[in-house]
Amino acid sequence: MWYRIARKLSETYSRRFARAVRESYAEDEAYAPTPLGRCALALFLGLLFLLPLILGPYPMYVLSLTAIAALGALGLHLLVGGAGLISLGQAAFLGIGAYTASHLSGPLAPLGVLAGGLLAALVGLVLGLPSLRIKGVYLAIATLAFQFLAILVFNNWESFTGGIRGRNLAPAEILGHPLDSPGALWYLILAFTVPLFFYGKRLLSTRAGRAWLALRDNELSAQVAGVELVPTKLSAFLLSAFYAGVAGGLLANLYRTVTPEHFLFGVSVQYLAMVIVGGAGTVLGAVLGAAFVVLVPELLNTLVGALGPAYAGALAALRNVVFGTLILAFLILEPRGLVGLWSRVRDYLRTWPLPY
Amino acid sequence: MGLAPILEVRDLHLRFKGVAALSGVGFTVEPGSFFAIIGPNGAGKTSLLNVLSGLYRPQSGEVRFLGRDLLPLPPPRRTRLGLGRTFQNLELFRGMTVLENVKLGAERAGPYPLLWPRADQEARVRARAEEVLEYLDLAPYRHVPAGLLPYGLQKRVEVARALAGSPRLLLLDEPMAGLAVEERQDLARYLQDARREWGVTLLWVEHDLRAVMELSERVLVLSYGQVLYHGDPEGARRDPRVQDAYLGGGA
Ligand SMILES: Nc1ncnc2c1ncn2[C@@H]1O[C@H](COP(=O)(O)OP(=O)(O)OP(=O)(O)O)[C@@H](O)[C@H]1O
Ligand SMILES: [Mg+2]
Repeated sequence: MWYRIARKLSETYSRRFARAVRESYAEDEAYAPTPLGRCALALFLGLLFLLPLILGPYPMYVLSLTAIAALGALGLHLLVGGAGLISLGQAAFLGIGAYTASHLSGPLAPLGVLAGGLLAALVGLVLGLPSLRIKGVYLAIATLAFQFLAILVFNNWESFTGGIRGRNLAPAEILGHPLDSPGALWYLILAFTVPLFFYGKRLLSTRAGRAWLALRDNELSAQVAGVELVPTKLSAFLLSAFYAGVAGGLLANLYRTVTPEHFLFGVSVQYLAMVIVGGAGTVLGAVLGAAFVVLVPELLNTLVGALGPAYAGALAALRNVVFGTLILAFLILEPRGLVGLWSRVRDYLRTWPLPY
Repeated sequence: MGLAPILEVRDLHLRFKGVAALSGVGFTVEPGSFFAIIGPNGAGKTSLLNVLSGLYRPQSGEVRFLGRDLLPLPPPRRTRLGLGRTFQNLELFRGMTVLENVKLGAERAGPYPLLWPRADQEARVRARAEEVLEYLDLAPYRHVPAGLLPYGLQKRVEVARALAGSPRLLLLDEPMAGLAVEERQDLARYLQDARREWGVTLLWVEHDLRAVMELSERVLVLSYGQVLYHGDPEGARRDPRVQDAYLGGGA
């Protein structure tokens, strides 16, 4: 996920020097339009690979959580920020992915994660059907109903989900190497997140992205401009669920246990918060939003821990208040989210010595 | 005029509860012509375009475009056949850039699977979009979100989006309304050029009678959902019923 940030950084600088180039041809659809940008991107991907050598297990664990959350958020972002369809059921898709992966663990882990994504995508397609008829709040309520239905199934379908006790997983294994630490599992996570991020970014800037955005902005005129309603909406649901399913599968391998409380309604809300805080409209938004939602509570936890156990109870409650307030503050102060904040900083930097 | 008409409308009836928006409207449009529809407020002009582009379903009547029956087809299919459209009240994708708006229009001719991005198709769409942007002098605004442009430019972007799909027939709903005199002249020139160079047939709804008389070759006058007149612009000016409708309508 950090490579997004790096890419944005490199883009800023390449654009600062080569703005005119981007104005002519299809180059601006490339991931990194300039040689400088390509270098930075390659460097960054390299750095991602080396991270486990530099960082200890706990930071790697938090980073893994962030990367997985970013993947789920990107999926939701395609649906909400892209097609403008609200979903309150993202956690349910994570759950479908996680439970599926729990049946194909150990040496089969990569297959399990993929299968989780595919099964979630299938269910997502079905959940997408009502979106062809209903909109806005009503659609949100339909996805909410789906979320609660999913929890009911997770709790009661003992043979598949292990009920309330859930299921435990053996460590993922690649060619006989057990990935039993967050640092080792990181490579499995990268193997899924990096390609899916590239793919998502590509989709948003090509035909699918245009069709989704057009539906979000103006359904009537999108149809008149030639956008087919049914495949466009369903593909957004399908893809969003696929991303969540893969994220869920990875999460199962990270936690090594899957229980229903990982996929409660509150988690769906958290994912929506990531998209909103990050700022709907770009891939970077999903990453920044995920980082915010995962890291801020983590930081607040550390802070609470540092103050000593005596205050822990009171401060834990306060933690939620602070977190909620921060999200509200974002919605009010910067409706474009972290991406908006970022682009302001960027514009400031670009014109830094001479503000005009 | 030996050519087969590009659009044939026969005996259209469209009712909303009590209101008869169209009653027995029929006319034909020759390929390559500049066809105007005029009429007082509420005459049913927009309703007629909505029937043509598939947003309203008429109770009865027939619409043939390039010899094909249009009425059973949903709007995107009609667009793919070569029917372009702009709206009376702007219906742009406001959050998308001008370029993205026009690219979406340009895609009409060669869509490919949604979830399988193809570089060659994207390059083609981009090239077409650039061509149209250049043509309508919109190139400097390509990366601006469409919703942020001034009204006149937004209208032009709508025309660009429709033209990018290389339509055979372009329906324009009051493209001149709300524009300054200069902008009107520019738009008229763009439309004339598009007609000459790309062979687009133009069907436009307009309130500005002067512009209609100057530019159009054929005129259809609607009033209360009925055809008052169908013929050349000179005849419309002299027709007593048309004069009545306009004086009565206060225009
Ligand atoms: N969706 C609708 N529901 C109900 N009535 C409608 C609808 N659309 C149009 N009408 C009615 O049909 C009649 C014709 O309206 P229409 O918009 O086609 O007129 P117009 O010729 O475009 O007028 P203007 O010059 O004001 O744009 C009006 O009486 C209008 O109230
Ligand atoms: Mg009208």
